[in-house]
Amino acid sequence: MTAPLLADRPPAGPPRPYAFPPLVRLPVAGGEVLAAHLPGQPLAEAVLLLDAGAGRERPGAEGAAGVLLKALEEGTATRDATAYAYAMECLGAQLSTHVDWDRVEVGVSAHVDRLLAAVGLLTEAARTPRLDPADVTRVRDDEAAALRMEWAGPGPRADAALRHALFGDQRPGRPIHGDPRSAAALPVAEVRAYHERWFRQPGVLLVVGDLDRLDLEALGAVAFAGTGAPVPAETGLIGAELASTRRILLIDRPDAVQSTLRLGHLGPHRAHPDHVAVQLAGTVLGGSFTSRLNHLLREVRGFTYGVRGEFAASRRFGRFTVRAAVRADATAAALTDAVGEVVRIRAEGVTEDEVAVARSWRAGQLSVESQTTGAIARLLSSIVVHGLPDDFVVRQRERYLAATPGEVAPAAATHLRPDDLVLVVEGDAARIRADLAGTGLGEIVDVPRLT
Amino acid sequence: MTGYPWPIETDTLDNGLRVIVSEDHRAPVVGVNLWYDVGSRHEPAGQTGFAHLFEHLMFEGSAQVGKTEHMKLVQGSGGSLNATTNPDRTNYFESVPAEHLPLMLWLEADRMGGLVPALTQETLDNQREVVKNERRQRYEDQPYGDFWLRLLPLMYPPGHPYHHATIGEMADLNAADLVTFQNFHRRYYVPHNAVLTVVGDTTPDEVFKLARQYFGGIPRGADIPPAPAGRDLSPAGPPRREDVVADVPAARVYLAVATAPFGSADYDVASVLAGVLATGRGSRLYQRLAEGRRLAQPDYLAAYGVDLAHAPAPLILSATARDGVGADELEAGLVDVVDELVRDGVADDEVARVQALMTTSWWRQMETVAGRADALSRYATQFGDPRLAGTRLPARLAVTAAQVSALAAAVLAADRRLTIRYLPEKERP
Repeated sequence: MTAPLLADRPPAGPPRPYAFPPLVRLPVAGGEVLAAHLPGQPLAEAVLLLDAGAGRERPGAEGAAGVLLKALEEGTATRDATAYAYAMECLGAQLSTHVDWDRVEVGVSAHVDRLLAAVGLLTEAARTPRLDPADVTRVRDDEAAALRMEWAGPGPRADAALRHALFGDQRPGRPIHGDPRSAAALPVAEVRAYHERWFRQPGVLLVVGDLDRLDLEALGAVAFAGTGAPVPAETGLIGAELASTRRILLIDRPDAVQSTLRLGHLGPHRAHPDHVAVQLAGTVLGGSFTSRLNHLLREVRGFTYGVRGEFAASRRFGRFTVRAAVRADATAAALTDAVGEVVRIRAEGVTEDEVAVARSWRAGQLSVESQTTGAIARLLSSIVVHGLPDDFVVRQRERYLAATPGEVAPAAATHLRPDDLVLVVEGDAARIRADLAGTGLGEIVDVPRLT
Repeated sequence: MTGYPWPIETDTLDNGLRVIVSEDHRAPVVGVNLWYDVGSRHEPAGQTGFAHLFEHLMFEGSAQVGKTEHMKLVQGSGGSLNATTNPDRTNYFESVPAEHLPLMLWLEADRMGGLVPALTQETLDNQREVVKNERRQRYEDQPYGDFWLRLLPLMYPPGHPYHHATIGEMADLNAADLVTFQNFHRRYYVPHNAVLTVVGDTTPDEVFKLARQYFGGIPRGADIPPAPAGRDLSPAGPPRREDVVADVPAARVYLAVATAPFGSADYDVASVLAGVLATGRGSRLYQRLAEGRRLAQPDYLAAYGVDLAHAPAPLILSATARDGVGADELEAGLVDVVDELVRDGVADDEVARVQALMTTSWWRQMETVAGRADALSRYATQFGDPRLAGTRLPARLAVTAAQVSALAAAVLAADRRLTIRYLPEKERP
């Protein structure tokens, strides 16, 4: 059964006009509301965005932001934890929180008619949490236990080893939530102090939904009532002066049937002028299913269920990372292949075909991924955190579509540094050590098991 | 009230392919979704994992699409794509900027009508390795990762279509041969066994015309022998339980029962029951075990139904011990909560809380063209009419506390429970 039954391949139709929802900026009560209008959308989303990311944590207080976010729902100035949970959940809403290096977010999503009530509860938790020391202690201990659960699986130890190799003793050199041991030792006073110091700023309230049914003034008034002064942004790049030399960090995971690979080096920060070209280089190399890394390690060799590589960028630093889980007996071969692809793209550049797929994919994803209130709120959050213009999404799409191999290849050559790659392998050391030594990729350094 | 306030148009091609269109021009994207009514429930002994391995082969080229070209064409159109296999069915889906709709339908048609000539031993060998890596990554190398593999044979007897897990056994995967997969495609990947749904920035006329153009020439295929029947589960025997001593960071207790098939009135009641038990901080398990007696870790409490439609579906509860709490103590605490529910039932405000959360979660699922397309394909495949998708939310909102109490008493009775416990080495009995 071939040709006669099947039609010829059709061409693409004319592109449909692309538009990002119109944005509204409204100063209210010392803070700012940034809103996107989605007419007819039954759900709405509000996110309180604070410049209080984990980059603010003091040495010895790693994980304070994360524990604080979990402790917000342990009762407020006016109601206990159970009453709070019931009030929020009966609105059909749940508090969602997020912390990264640049920000914390406290958000709710609810039916558009209930958003104001939900934001009232959100604000109550974010601004006036009870933070009873006994409750915070319990939340801290639960967090340590949760980290122990997570660290029992493959991945977190390898991630931590890579971070430390790249950033040393600076804050990004430690995991965002700390590790099970540091979390258990986090002083409760640090958590309370973190709130006192960073949660009084007004911040920005992101609102996404049918703005014809939402009162932005009222939402802002609730979110910013009684807040203090904005906090000055932290500046200066982290890690730019740090060098890494290629070596293999081996973490023993006895009897593992797969090995976890984490390869990385430092990369450009978010505001670097090469950002778009670097993102496309990362896409060609490892950013999608059709990338060179996934093609070779999965589709040709059958070493893995999947491998990805990317340049991640925050305000003050960036890095390039490759992640995969590969079958144990193929560990050394997979590592050699992965490093080989980094070397090759740097030396040989990229083809027009590859860039065509990468730019269409990244541009198209902006349409495909912008259908939900949550996804649009994440884009608004980036606009605020990185100081981007209101028409950023439309412009970003145009820049992707205009990119050429002439920009992408030099970005790959400049920002990929195979000789600086730290190669972390978490697997059954007894089984894979000799093969790893045989790759000649670098000295093997054993990383002691932390917990 | 309906849970699906968008238009739905349907058509059936001469070869039996059912086509569903739901027009919505709010974003310049379309979701394309195909359900094939074949899953691991159709697999005979010795061929476990074949439906899922076959799903992988569908991405490796067809009559007019070279190896690796499928993914490249979709991603080169700015699209997202994936596929999943479960015991009931296999689904394939893409979300793309709307101008690429014809290409997506053409790609789906080419692999429906022209996969067999492109299927090679090399591709099979490669994807077999990929799937074995998937099994290692998801089930073997994760603490508690093999729970689902252990649950199914305890809950469903040998010969039952849900007795084995979709991922399959390594030995069966190793023995898979090319001819079996060629025959698998000829039998199941035929127009009358599929539903095609398109949601988004298009019109019914455009989709019906394209569907005829690309799928119309594919022969209907032969009638398909039914999967083994599974609706009548044998009556519960003695309480079934299993202790697993493993390298896990804390003791965990799973308690599971079979309830009712997805789509039935009782399944809706069971969904509300699951929410009362463990959705949110206001839930029973959170209030009693994370707060209250503090036996369980708050981040690892769960109660959920698995949405299988061809036999009474599992309802699964789980709790993971806090430091210093043993498996016996944790299990006793979990059993107390369940016993209390069976004995005293649930209150109106607990049900109202869950229904509010369910409403939000339903609309979140309907936010994307992909979410809506999958729902329409599901209701057309499993219940014969995509419009029934709109009945699910109202049906769940109509559930009463009395119904939840009655169902809890019936399905969570002590002699129907199945228990699987993971014990860290130090708790080895």
